Amino acid sequence: MKILNCPLNGPRNISEFVYGGEVKQMPDPASCTDREWAEYVFYHNNGTGVVREWWLHAPSGYWFIAERHRVSDEVVRTYDPSELEQSEFFAAPPADVQEARQ
Amino acid sequence: MTDTMVTPGDTLARSGLYRKIADAEFLSTPESAIAASYSADDSEQARNCGLCDLTPVIRTGWRGKTAAEHLQSLGYPVPENPNQALTKDSGETLVRLSRTEFWVLGSLQDMGTAVTEAARQPSPGSDCYPLFCQDSHAWLMLSGDHCAGVMAKLCGVDMRAQSFPPGSVAQTSVARINAIVVHHQVAGTDVFSLLFDAGYHAYLWDVLQDAMAEFSGAPVGVRAFGI
Repeated sequence: MKILNCPLNGPRNISEFVYGGEVKQMPDPASCTDREWAEYVFYHNNGTGVVREWWLHAPSGYWFIAERHRVSDEVVRTYDPSELEQSEFFAAPPADVQEARQ
Repeated sequence: MTDTMVTPGDTLARSGLYRKIADAEFLSTPESAIAASYSADDSEQARNCGLCDLTPVIRTGWRGKTAAEHLQSLGYPVPENPNQALTKDSGETLVRLSRTEFWVLGSLQDMGTAVTEAARQPSPGSDCYPLFCQDSHAWLMLSGDHCAGVMAKLCGVDMRAQSFPPGSVAQTSVARINAIVVHHQVAGTDVFSLLFDAGYHAYLWDVLQDAMAEFSGAPVGVRAFGI
């Protein structure tokens, strides 16, 4: 069985994990266009190379990020999401929207 | 705990196993009844390979960024890292499941009455709130010299003493269901506490007994631990 290294629990059988999709930056839902929102929700990158993905360790309910090579299926690194800046997950709204909110 | 024998059918709350373990003698607990003994040699059985249903014992949890300080203020020893457990002198075991999530397993001495008292204390204002694992999770306890041998048949984590010493916690898959395994000591005996979805209570009870048969394992009651 494949082994994946969970940052919280250590190396575990792959059957304990659930794939959670690619790490993508969420556009500001209040100000983005329908096209931008559809791209975020429905469209996925189908490229090769190393990608950042969400994975869940189901027995502990712990979400983390794995960097995986899409051709070799080698997991390069796994880490806690707190290692990334919030801006990696959420796009800042446009300046005029920010001003209007203040 | 009142030291009186009862039948589980007479209590308001019952372990999901009470029909399967009807041949045991039961003691009353604050809210339920717990299997006290199955036979005269329970103590010896527990030292070799025993399985005890502790579901009626009180347990609860806290989550949040200030949960660790709150538990310290309640007098619990807080493990430094996730997936570790510490047992208080009075017998309660504090399990740290992540940076911000803690469970407290009640002591067999008082069947968890002290945990109930702790849960009644007001939580600090923000970032600390209670988690309820009493009714959602069942609690089985494996005891004796063959704990690691039994678990080797059911789960992928190495639970031999050198890699899973007392105080270790593993959140993993046991017999294909998600479970928390805590290695601690009760009355000087090494035990593995298994906490898992209560819906699998009867399933895991049967699976564990099947796995224990190789080591002459059998159910034991809480009297085997000097209660």
